[in-house]
Amino acid sequence: MAFDALLEPIRIGKQTIRNRVVSTAHAEVHATDGGMTTDRYVRYYEEKAKGGCGLSICGGSSVVSIDSPQGWWSSVNLSTDRIIPHFQNLADAVHKHGGKIMIQITHMGRRSRWDGYDWPVLLSPSGIREPVHRSTCKTIEEEEIWRIVGDFAQAARRAKEGGLDGVELSAVHQHLIDQFWSPRVNKRTDQWGGSFENRMRFGMEVLKAVRAEVGDDFVVGLRICGDEFHPDGLTHEDMKQIAAYYDATGQVDFFGVIGSGSDTHNSLANVIPNMAYPPEPFLHLAAGIKEVVSVPVIHAQNIKDPNQAERILAGGYVDMVGMTRAHIADPHLIAKVKMGQVDRIKQCVGANYCIDRQYQGLDVLCIQNAATSREYLGLPHIIEKSQGPKRKVVVVGGGPGGMESARVAAERGHDVTLFEAEEQLGGQITIAAKAPQRDQIAGITRWYQLELTRLGVDQRLGTRADEATLKDLRPDILVLATGGHPFLEQHPQWGYSEQPEQSLVVSSWDILSGKVAPGKNVLIYDAICEFSGVSVADYLADKGAKVEIVTDDVKPGAAVGGTNFPTFYRSLYDKEVIMTSDLALHNVYREGDALVAVLENEYTGVQEERVVDQVVVENGVRPDEALYYALKDQSRNHGQVDLEALYAIQPQPCLATLDEGQGGDGFLLFRLGDCTAPRNTHAAIYDALRLCMDF
Amino acid sequence: MLDILLPILIFAALALAAIGALRRVRLWRQGRSSPVSIAKGLAAMPRRYLVDLHHVVARDKYISNTHVATAGGFVAAAVLMILVHGLGLGSLQGLGGVLGWLLLAASACMFVGSLFVAKRRRNPPPRLSKGPWMRLPKSLMAFSLGVFVITLASVGIVPADLGSWIVALVLAGVVTWGLAEMVFGMTWGGPMKHAFAGALHLAFHRRPERFSTKEGGSGRSTGLKALDLDDDRAPLGVGAPRDFTWNQLLGFDACVQCGRCEAACPAFAAGQPLNPKKLIQDMVVGMVGGSDAHYAGSPYPGKPIGEHGGDPHGPIVARPFANGGTALVDADTLWSCTTCRACVEECPMMIEHVDAIVDMRRFLTLEHGNTPNKGGDVLDNLIATDNPGGFDPGSRLNWAADQNLPLMADRQEAEVLLWLGDGAFDMRNQRTLRALVKVLRAAEVDFAVLGNEERDSGDVARRLGDEATFQRLARRNITTLSRYRFTHIVTCDPHSFHVLKNEYGALGGHYSVFHHSTYIAELFDSGRLNLKAWKGDSVTYHDPCYLGRYNGEYEAPRRVLQALGIEVKEMARSGYRSRCCGGGGGAPITDIPGKRRIPDMRMDDVRETGAELVAVGCPQCTAMLEGVVNASAEVRDIAELVAEGLNEESAQDRASRRTQQSEEALVS
Repeated sequence: MAFDALLEPIRIGKQTIRNRVVSTAHAEVHATDGGMTTDRYVRYYEEKAKGGCGLSICGGSSVVSIDSPQGWWSSVNLSTDRIIPHFQNLADAVHKHGGKIMIQITHMGRRSRWDGYDWPVLLSPSGIREPVHRSTCKTIEEEEIWRIVGDFAQAARRAKEGGLDGVELSAVHQHLIDQFWSPRVNKRTDQWGGSFENRMRFGMEVLKAVRAEVGDDFVVGLRICGDEFHPDGLTHEDMKQIAAYYDATGQVDFFGVIGSGSDTHNSLANVIPNMAYPPEPFLHLAAGIKEVVSVPVIHAQNIKDPNQAERILAGGYVDMVGMTRAHIADPHLIAKVKMGQVDRIKQCVGANYCIDRQYQGLDVLCIQNAATSREYLGLPHIIEKSQGPKRKVVVVGGGPGGMESARVAAERGHDVTLFEAEEQLGGQITIAAKAPQRDQIAGITRWYQLELTRLGVDQRLGTRADEATLKDLRPDILVLATGGHPFLEQHPQWGYSEQPEQSLVVSSWDILSGKVAPGKNVLIYDAICEFSGVSVADYLADKGAKVEIVTDDVKPGAAVGGTNFPTFYRSLYDKEVIMTSDLALHNVYREGDALVAVLENEYTGVQEERVVDQVVVENGVRPDEALYYALKDQSRNHGQVDLEALYAIQPQPCLATLDEGQGGDGFLLFRLGDCTAPRNTHAAIYDALRLCMDF
Repeated sequence: MLDILLPILIFAALALAAIGALRRVRLWRQGRSSPVSIAKGLAAMPRRYLVDLHHVVARDKYISNTHVATAGGFVAAAVLMILVHGLGLGSLQGLGGVLGWLLLAASACMFVGSLFVAKRRRNPPPRLSKGPWMRLPKSLMAFSLGVFVITLASVGIVPADLGSWIVALVLAGVVTWGLAEMVFGMTWGGPMKHAFAGALHLAFHRRPERFSTKEGGSGRSTGLKALDLDDDRAPLGVGAPRDFTWNQLLGFDACVQCGRCEAACPAFAAGQPLNPKKLIQDMVVGMVGGSDAHYAGSPYPGKPIGEHGGDPHGPIVARPFANGGTALVDADTLWSCTTCRACVEECPMMIEHVDAIVDMRRFLTLEHGNTPNKGGDVLDNLIATDNPGGFDPGSRLNWAADQNLPLMADRQEAEVLLWLGDGAFDMRNQRTLRALVKVLRAAEVDFAVLGNEERDSGDVARRLGDEATFQRLARRNITTLSRYRFTHIVTCDPHSFHVLKNEYGALGGHYSVFHHSTYIAELFDSGRLNLKAWKGDSVTYHDPCYLGRYNGEYEAPRRVLQALGIEVKEMARSGYRSRCCGGGGGAPITDIPGKRRIPDMRMDDVRETGAELVAVGCPQCTAMLEGVVNASAEVRDIAELVAEGLNEESAQDRASRRTQQSEEALVS
């Protein structure tokens, strides 16, 4: 595939962008220094530019005014001239690699939180509360409108003086501009509300003020949604009218279009479609906008694959594709396209770990790429071959931690053997991928399979490594990533037995992996409230079971992130799964052919019973430590990881003993991932990368 | 008796030789006219033989020494024999006696030489033709021994009649055999024909400039000759043997069937249906008329001997579907050639195989419209879009949207015009171009590009035989170039380099053209590049044909690698003996199947060195070598290695500081 359309340059305003690929505006949560673009921020964008990305629009929801809160999500603060030198660093870093960089600027109006930092009074056209952030606000006054119009212009000036290539005005996600547009939020009767022209007025004044400030040789774009998907919201036809209206001014250089409003949990999930969505689900909306405007249209939403992007661009639906999460997963995506290494691209699987962290105010990280946004720490996207001696590295366990360990060690040029007890790689990812709408998570494994094969790792699948086998291989370094097992033995009264026919409860793993057939009338007890519980509920319901999922936590799926739980809820409610909270599983007993689960209310102690034919318990993972303790005392380092070195991304000091022959005979032993303590995929991969990159 | 018989034999042989020569000349003159200076050529011939030809022959010390003894001995013996035995000067006292002794020495020398010829023929390498060539050592011995013995009588060591008339008669027979082979066999088509035709071929060579001169000429002439497309009478290429120029036919006739071309030919080694030696012999068959049944060397792989034939006026290639069957050669033989010039480089008789092949391809393409496989598409693309891939001609600079390359159209002048080549459309080559731009910028070279004004150089069109498209592209480029002022053209594409440097001249474009390796070497030598020490894997270097054999540049790329601190692990076949990657002459486009792929064989050469990286200097070589499955070495252009080796501001060290996780900095 030639990727001619993808790699064709395009002009936006007075700027030439080297290809059609954009990393669109998203909150990075990296501008931790009072809204300044930190070293971390710069390196994060530099890496994308280095990897060939044409245009990065940084700083999702970067604020132009002091009363649009910035601190919660560490977004960029353009309300002060202090930002200008920081922008210069950012612009230089991106321009050095031939990329272009613009920033999204906005006033969020009512959309944010007021209960922190400067405790601002939030603003909106008619003072109507926003549900997603549970935020209340005041009705904006005329003076404030004109102040904010001026703030937009000054923010754009700062971006220009900082050497950025343009600004994108956010009129999407129910920020202030589109709060004025939307009749469901804008109930004003003055010149700022009511008629179409009046509702458009605030955005138009912003556009005029910004353009007047920055002139013609600076890009000014507008990001809009293609349809709010609210019964009383702006429709696609409304949005076409709005886009055409602004386009007619000749002052907008591009439109960024995405599908869906986002001021409810359910609509928010549309904005960053997770793996439950089909590819490019809202392309038609962007294509509709392209019909009515005269400038380039950018569209992002579930475009993850360069072949898909090429198809969209070659079809002429839009002019540029946003591949934002695709670049979080692999900032070298374009470089790999150009190198003819499309099958080496680490493709986004839509796990939405990045955006779900962001909604918790945590820095954006990738579930499968631990180097992303850690470039400033020296975490590499491309592992360099070791200049030191070639070592024998043996990895036990083919889950994410083990696969990453094997990959990194092999990239270092070592002789790597990987043991996996199952017939295929993936560990818990394989199980997770069995649930409805979750199959794409197996993409994580697929990439590792390709890479490990390319790197010539000796993969011993279906082989459970024992002490003797491992020692026979005479490893220099042994990495244990053996994972764990479902922790059903925690409470004996649950009636778990290792003999399947005697056990009263089964694990979510056994259900999802197909080891145990689904019951007809099933109670799921979910003590964890992560993906596993709702996944097994969805799976069982999908197989026709009547399902109740019970938790002692606040709600089943409570720990599933904000862009993921809505797709589970849609499916579970649709399948009439009962979700019950505040009940703990007390005990299970058998009565005839049936099972009786005794549930106890967390707050009242009152017990109630459920008569079912299957009880599934999701109680997290218990580490498998046997192999570790068998080998620990034989290893040079007694299995210990030097945390100072690990956290500082420095080589483990004990590695030196291998080269110098000190520290006794034998191997170095490390363990990581769930066989240490159950955490998550990212944790296992991060530990593997930072540990093994210096082998 | 001998003193009567010998003059008769000698003059009869000479007379027969003269008749044979006239007949041979008539065969050559079937070809088209070709302007050469007869007098100058004949005057230059001894030097061409003794210096240029000997330079090639001397690559094989055994045969070169053997040839000096045998041929030197023969020429001297032949002249002396005419004097001594033909004119009877040997029986006189004084000078005559000396002549006799000299003749003894010459024939002895020739005899010793012929012993070595015989030794070579005892177990000959497969590249040597057999047949009549197997009797040659015996003929040489017969001549030299016969002359030696009869001359013993002349100097008085043995009696005049050697004791008996029977012995004399036997001896006369031996001498007759020798004379037959060595004198009239020379012009009547025996193995010794090579001496007669070879000498005249050297004198009237179609490329006199390829020979050195006392003043030190370039000694290199590799550009293809332009077709005069405006001459209605001139055939478009060569369709029948008579369409060659007379001195091309003469050149074919000079072939000594040593098979050095066959041993060097990558297509032959790959089992494609081409053997340069057989091709030249087929041209001789065509010139004389007949079939190839008497050919006694290796056939075209997969094509049995005896099925092809022709005549001077008949077609060389049978027109498919018209009369079916075969003619002198099959089209796939001509399309197997990569135009790598390995055969020309090795040929001790200075025969121009590549010229001949392209001449015949011109006819197939221009007259038959029959360029095989993707050839037609590529030519259509070149006609429609001015580039072989059919890309939008306005997209040549797409790869460089982030490079801010200065355009000649904006600048009007620059020290260096960077010629991009069609690699500008290829993602792999774009990496090389980016690296080259980085190097030029690091050395602060004042350069600019033509950008979308640049067209394909015409290389592929020309080598696929489409001379018309070549000339159109070349003229267009020449017109574009004439609008701007620049001192040099620099390009990373040896094909563009060769065409711009050696083939545009005939159409009025004369430029100072550098291959990037040469230019980078000069930048380094003048201290404009600051390179750091090489830390990578072991490296070998692949000489691109169009840089090496076509233009004699073997040193600069190696100097650049040395400047990077790389010690090149040379392949057995490197320098002028480098094996082609298989990518030249449109061969990947016409794609004639063989038993193996040429680039696979080249990667085997690389593997033998144990190098983990093969440095190249050509987009075609890069593409071909990178296309090898399970290659043992990485393929990198020299520009990429230099760009990586540039001593820039030290790369950002891995951050050593402990960093607080951003979570800590957040308000929970």
